[in-house]
Amino acid sequence: MDPIVSAASVLAAALAIGLAAIGPGIGQGNASGQAVSGIARQPEAEGKIRGTLLLTLAFMESLTIYGLVIALVLLFANPFA
Amino acid sequence: MTSQENTLPKTLAEADTPKEDHPESDSSTNNSMDEFYALRQELLLSTLVISGVVFFSVWWVYTLNVALSYALGASVGMVYLRMLARDVERLGPEKKLGKNRLALFVVLILVAARWNQTQIVPAFLGFLTFKAAIIFYTLRITLPR
Repeated sequence: MDPIVSAASVLAAALAIGLAAIGPGIGQGNASGQAVSGIARQPEAEGKIRGTLLLTLAFMESLTIYGLVIALVLLFANPFA
Repeated sequence: MTSQENTLPKTLAEADTPKEDHPESDSSTNNSMDEFYALRQELLLSTLVISGVVFFSVWWVYTLNVALSYALGASVGMVYLRMLARDVERLGPEKKLGKNRLALFVVLILVAARWNQTQIVPAFLGFLTFKAAIIFYTLRITLPR
């Protein structure tokens, strides 16, 4: 592989996973914190709150996964190699 | 003594009694968690059904290898969803959300990329099958009938 292409791929992979983790990380932290505080205020709604949290976390985490896919494809199945 | 006084805790120590001493509050928590367990069960079942339908469709349209790659991704996606649900179930002041389940996905992509019999795209799309189940569930409960 051309050394410039491999260097650019490694940099791009690092940027992809790093940047893709920022937003979902903040979002998941906020959502989980609010959910725990909601459960503390209303224990009788625990199941509903945890169910909603499960759905939202699944959607939020997929954004990280998309970045991870790009990074892994660049590292292990690079189409530009 | 009025009825309102009867409902109030007599001492501070009584008010701070842990939840284990109140079986009725435990049962109400368990009842509220039933909704969560039902949602988890429904999502896993929907993912399984969608995976089965798509597996046979892919096998029919493409080849068995592509269908097996899809099945591999779908099974990893189900394990991922289970791990996410377990994390959400245990989430509290002491237990935070972990990121261990992402390792599962990394292993899936590595296997799909390195092993000649598997392909990345079907495995990745198989992994995303649980998201289709979530979207169907969300549409079902939000759209007016």
